[in-house]
Amino acid sequence: MTKFPKALRGILLGFCWLLFLLGQAQPTDRHLKGTVKGPDGSAVAGATVALAADKKTATATDASGSFTLTLPAAYNGPLELEISSVGYETRRVSVQRGQSAITVVMDNNRSSLNEVVVTALGINREKKSLGYAVTTVKGDEFTQARENNIANALTGKVAGVNAAGLSTGPGGSSRVTIRGNGTLGPDNQPLYVVNGMPIDNSVPGGAPTVNGITNNVDRGDGIAGINPDDIESISVLKGGTAAALYGSRAANGVILITTKKGRAQRGVGVEYNSTATLENVAVIPEFQYTYGQGLDGVMPTDINSAQASGRKSWGAPIDGNTNYMAVDTVHHPYTAKKKNLQNFYQTGSTFTNSVALAGGNEKTVYRFSAADLNSNGILPKTTYDRKTLNLTLASKLTDKLSLDALAQYNLETGTNRTGAGDALGNPNWTPLEIANTADVRWLKPGYDVNGNEVKWNDADIASNGYFVINKFQEKDVKNRFIGQASVSYELIKNLVFKGTVSEDYYNYNYYNILPTGTRYVPNGQYSGIKTDVSEFNGMVTGAYKTALTKDIGLSALVGANTRKNQENRLTLNGNNFVVPYFYSASNLSALTTTPYRPRIGTNSIFGSVDLDYKNFLFLTLGGREDWFSTLSPQNNHIFYPSVSGSFVLSDAVRLPEFFSYAKLRGSWAQVGGGAPDPYQINLTFSNVASSGASLLNVTPDPNTGNNVISNPNLKPYTSTTTEGGFELQMLNSRLGIDFTYYNRQTTNDIVNTAVSTTSGYSNVIMNIGKLRNSGVEVLLTGKPVRTANFGWNVSYNIAYNANKVVALAPGLNYIQIASSVNSWATLQQIVGSPFGTLVGTRMTRDAKTGQIVYDRTTHTPVMTSATQVLGNSVAPYTMGLTNDFRYKRFNLSILLDGKFGNKIFSIFELYATRMGKLKSTLPGRANGLELKGIDKSGAPYDTVITQANGVLRNYYDNYKTYSELFLHDGSFIKLRQVVFSYQLPIKNIATVKIQSANISFVARNLLILYRKTTNFDPEQSFTNSNAQGFESIGLPRTRSYGLNLAVKF
Amino acid sequence: MALSSCDKGYKEMNINPDAVTNPTPQFVFSLAEYDGAGAGGHYGSSAADFLLGTMQYTTSYNDVAGWGSKYINSQIQQTYGPFNAAYPDEINELGIVIKTVKSDPTKVNWLAEARIWRVYCFMRQTDLYGDIPYSQAGLGYDSSLLKPVYDAQQSIYTNMLSELDAAAQSLDATKTTFGASDLIYGGNPDQWKKFAYSLMLRLGMRLTKVDIASAQTWVTKAIAGGVILQDADIAKMSYLATGQDINKNPQVLDLWNSDYISQNGVGNVEGGKYADSWISYLQSTNDPRLPIISVVWTGGKPDTTSSKQLGMPQNIPNKQPANFGSYSEPNPATVLGLGSPKLLFTAAESYFLLTEAALRGWYSGASASSLYTLGIQAAMRHWSIVAGSAGTISPAAITTYVNNNVLVSGTLDQQLQQIYTQFWVSIFPDAQEVYNNWRRTGYPALVPNNYPTNATGGQIYRRCLYPISEQTLNTVNYNAAVARQGADALMTRIWWDKQ
Repeated sequence: MTKFPKALRGILLGFCWLLFLLGQAQPTDRHLKGTVKGPDGSAVAGATVALAADKKTATATDASGSFTLTLPAAYNGPLELEISSVGYETRRVSVQRGQSAITVVMDNNRSSLNEVVVTALGINREKKSLGYAVTTVKGDEFTQARENNIANALTGKVAGVNAAGLSTGPGGSSRVTIRGNGTLGPDNQPLYVVNGMPIDNSVPGGAPTVNGITNNVDRGDGIAGINPDDIESISVLKGGTAAALYGSRAANGVILITTKKGRAQRGVGVEYNSTATLENVAVIPEFQYTYGQGLDGVMPTDINSAQASGRKSWGAPIDGNTNYMAVDTVHHPYTAKKKNLQNFYQTGSTFTNSVALAGGNEKTVYRFSAADLNSNGILPKTTYDRKTLNLTLASKLTDKLSLDALAQYNLETGTNRTGAGDALGNPNWTPLEIANTADVRWLKPGYDVNGNEVKWNDADIASNGYFVINKFQEKDVKNRFIGQASVSYELIKNLVFKGTVSEDYYNYNYYNILPTGTRYVPNGQYSGIKTDVSEFNGMVTGAYKTALTKDIGLSALVGANTRKNQENRLTLNGNNFVVPYFYSASNLSALTTTPYRPRIGTNSIFGSVDLDYKNFLFLTLGGREDWFSTLSPQNNHIFYPSVSGSFVLSDAVRLPEFFSYAKLRGSWAQVGGGAPDPYQINLTFSNVASSGASLLNVTPDPNTGNNVISNPNLKPYTSTTTEGGFELQMLNSRLGIDFTYYNRQTTNDIVNTAVSTTSGYSNVIMNIGKLRNSGVEVLLTGKPVRTANFGWNVSYNIAYNANKVVALAPGLNYIQIASSVNSWATLQQIVGSPFGTLVGTRMTRDAKTGQIVYDRTTHTPVMTSATQVLGNSVAPYTMGLTNDFRYKRFNLSILLDGKFGNKIFSIFELYATRMGKLKSTLPGRANGLELKGIDKSGAPYDTVITQANGVLRNYYDNYKTYSELFLHDGSFIKLRQVVFSYQLPIKNIATVKIQSANISFVARNLLILYRKTTNFDPEQSFTNSNAQGFESIGLPRTRSYGLNLAVKF
Repeated sequence: MALSSCDKGYKEMNINPDAVTNPTPQFVFSLAEYDGAGAGGHYGSSAADFLLGTMQYTTSYNDVAGWGSKYINSQIQQTYGPFNAAYPDEINELGIVIKTVKSDPTKVNWLAEARIWRVYCFMRQTDLYGDIPYSQAGLGYDSSLLKPVYDAQQSIYTNMLSELDAAAQSLDATKTTFGASDLIYGGNPDQWKKFAYSLMLRLGMRLTKVDIASAQTWVTKAIAGGVILQDADIAKMSYLATGQDINKNPQVLDLWNSDYISQNGVGNVEGGKYADSWISYLQSTNDPRLPIISVVWTGGKPDTTSSKQLGMPQNIPNKQPANFGSYSEPNPATVLGLGSPKLLFTAAESYFLLTEAALRGWYSGASASSLYTLGIQAAMRHWSIVAGSAGTISPAAITTYVNNNVLVSGTLDQQLQQIYTQFWVSIFPDAQEVYNNWRRTGYPALVPNNYPTNATGGQIYRRCLYPISEQTLNTVNYNAAVARQGADALMTRIWWDKQ
């Protein structure tokens, strides 16, 4: 030691002294340790744990939810911790110095006070600063009781969001509208955005139509490709100001999906989720079982009579007679067959498995997931498979430069998707319309030794359902890639530039084969779609944040966006397979190939300024200008402004103790928009496939084949929203209310409407109309019970939307947007009525006496004109009620939802009436039916009609011409979702390092608690277009139930 | 200004890369010929083939497919078809052709032929429905006329007749023609002129019940202009047997696909057969056309023996009869040639109309009886034009038939009965023109099928119904037409079909 110089010794001594001092200043009780858990007991990773009195003293929980907070050396204040995490209620917990590790259980957030929400362009903002309503749903609400299409799962969860799955099978589309139908144009669905950038939500080849026949298939939309396991949260921006920064396509609101990211942690976190569910037909129609198969009171006893009445229940009283012959040429007892739906459809199943790996360090975090979904529909041979691979990376390259990237690959395969609409090639027709004494299974397998369809009724266009199942071929394969990359650079402090590119690309191959031997096309038919669709967006933004004074903060954003959407579609249609039973496009005697290459561009510049005063008064000003490629060059751009403000009353003044939080908000915003489709400003001509002379015609609409009158003067439409509301939290946040009123008006809509074909065209594109939506949304939240072992949270939302078509164009009082099979009812926009009015016919009645007017020749009531207003197809009231119960390791979540006040026109009932299957066709079968009223001349009419010569049958058949008879109230309340879960006590499992494990019983659409439609589910829609309000013999809707297992390692 | 570049390239981006801006008129004209002659025979829009049943050529045991012969109430909407098909297709196409060529003096023949064909197409419509959109039809794009008025049939007839006259006179053999794009005459202006005057003859004679003076005026004018009298001048659409459906004979395609594709006599999917009134009439007159047009299937082979032919009754109640296979159906070698021409206006029709004109004293170029005989002879030769050797009837057989079927003198009505019964036999399968003359003259004297649940009180209907979509999409004008013409009902008579 003597060798050390004196000076050095001095330094060493000093260092030791310093160490001593440091040691003195760091007693063990400066470390506060604990674990943060969610209501289900699972670890909450990434939660912020801060000292309430000094929020700079903070840490975050690790993957197992553990934290260690180190107090500042000199800290002597109160030891109250504030624990916050996105999606949970922020909690404050008092601790004691030296206390052993604490456990903090967080409540799921429903309306958090300081919640940070994702807003337009993916910007995180404090919810209290927003001047408009925004609702966030956590991703895990979608991963237990699953819907194949994530959008369907939104139903009932968000006030003002009307989400409905279609009854088109396991790979079907969804229809989501927010605050009603805001445009008379073709698309009322919101824009879907992933991590700030739009994705494509198109249905390849277009949505099915209400009056479509063969090949009228729902091919699935874009949102169906998102794997729920990858979703961190979904924010719903309900339109107007919330969405204005996204421009035109956000006019109907935005569904913002934020995907899960990796977290800095040791090792790799693994999540595994597995769900198996079964599904069954939800509603069985109530048919008559008094009279069986036959015509005019006679039971069939030979094959020809059986075929003539295969779908007709106009026969003799059902009496067990064994001389009855059915279309299988076998004698059966003449008895009621009540289980044809159950026997025709199978139990469907869906099996989903997903695994995610996540991890990273301070510089770079990553997450990778893989999911596989296998669905077998209730219609045999209908399947849907979806494989999803998703990778996200976030890296802070330097202090100033950071990088985010996402890549997703999907492979979606559908087979034998079923059509809807008319009877042709529609297998769902058979079990519904087959005679009531025939067992549908007698039609099996639907084909003869040669493979040709077996006749089962008098109309060959009413296909044998088993032939369709066994011999029709439909297959579609979609390869989809979504890529996003963004770079942000902080040039100087608080000035950040960001550049983002995103691409959503899919390649799609579809074919639908009507085989050789199909009775209504004996040589078969082929249709196919080959397409690729690209949605590209590039965006640059600059954001600056500063404090103008001590009390006033400012942040500003400017940006520019370019969007390009392109498709390269080839539609193939052919017929006559030259070599019978061999199905290839090469084997057709006639084949046409039609190209369609739409290209759409939108360029935009935008900016916004946020001001806040003392963190309780907020003001946002915004503006955007869009240029649209689809409009006339003279009128192709529009500027639209927005303003919104929020005032946090509870932070500005001292409120009575009763109120924990009070906020007022208001906003006004405009959004302009262009035409949704290109090539609508000029009339063009296209080749018509010909084997002889060259042929040319007006270029038809690529989806409908109609002639459309183009419009060279198309200009942007404008949608203006005013919104106001308040949020209150009471009784220490045990009770909350969020109220919103809004008014949205859209003018100069770009509308494609049906016109009289005598104009030479079927449709016209017009810039017309004024459409108003106004309504209220109320969200009530409560936490009646909140104890350590038992918790009960309840959330109720209700929305009312009043819609009115204020004006169309001078001299134009209505436009027609859809028409049922055979025009038995139409859907129109009528001035003074709400969006989507069902219009049809009634029985003519004497104006004074109300007596029915009869036609003496046909013994049927005289039909009125086809312009009778029947009702509104859109439900103005929507509601959802969620109850969450937690008891120790058990959790029970129950969602009820309801929609009220809409009407549905049923094509199935119309046919079932013609076929004599409904109870309403029973009067008069035994002793004749007395028709009493007046005739066309006003003279009394009193006649008894009987089954003889089919007169009674004709009378009921003719009911099809009175659409009023098939109109129903579509209101319902459904037990939409039940999740009952149990958190496994994993501490006892030593061998594997499991963080949490949950097993749940899950169910969707379990019960319909209230409905007015006796014979079908009121949500029996089969297209996600505006053409709602029609039931038209689609696949029946189902209830599903199963088990879910979620494990985190 | 920098912002001006924000829409750079957008004008080009909004030009459809798969379509042209300017129509090539002759290609549109070819399509209008296909469409006007009845293309688009797919389900739901088949062009008036139910009239084959109404004129009792065919029937079906099946109520749905048998509507034409049974007129049952439940299938009344089948009559919307022709109306729905015509306007967006041939009417609009011809509007495009006319607009494109009308100011080009070198294209007078193109314009004239489009005008003549447009009259043919409109005639088919108004004769089925009565008042229809005419003067404002097909102007949705050019004039933004989305709700055309319904013109009274009288004014439609007046205009059609003067159109034919003006168009015929404007034809100029020294100017350019449609050439091969004209599938009827290869563009030949002289033949188009004969076609125009033949149509004038047809339309003029149509007016005998409602306006006899006008009828005489136009018939006389037509005859003076020169009508189709030679086989070489017959107006016929030519078709191909293979390839795209649009190139095939549309009426044959419809018959083929709905019933006769299986070619065994029993696999008729829609239950169609020849009707008993048709076959038994041909048998009763020992008509040599019977073996040409009709077969029964025995042992898997078509048999044309006249005595074995059997027509199916029209009153079979929706149930396949046990002896279904024994009924006669169209001969695949003649009637069912997918590539066979469709005869639009024949020499036979001219002769029969001239026969009537002679009887009325409007024509003195030949005697009524010789014209009648010429009509039958021409009609007998049609089948070789349609089907070549398979349709050829020997001159000896023709002579025998002609000698046994001379025009017997009697009242005008008695002679009209002979003419238009022969017309029924001769013009098959152009059921619509037979239907028109049946309404005008009452002949052939068909016995209406009083089938249960028929919509007409057991009568043959006298018009078709406007599609229901017209009630909602063109309400005011639809209502005006109904107010003028009478109820939109099957038994309402159209203007020229005066009681």
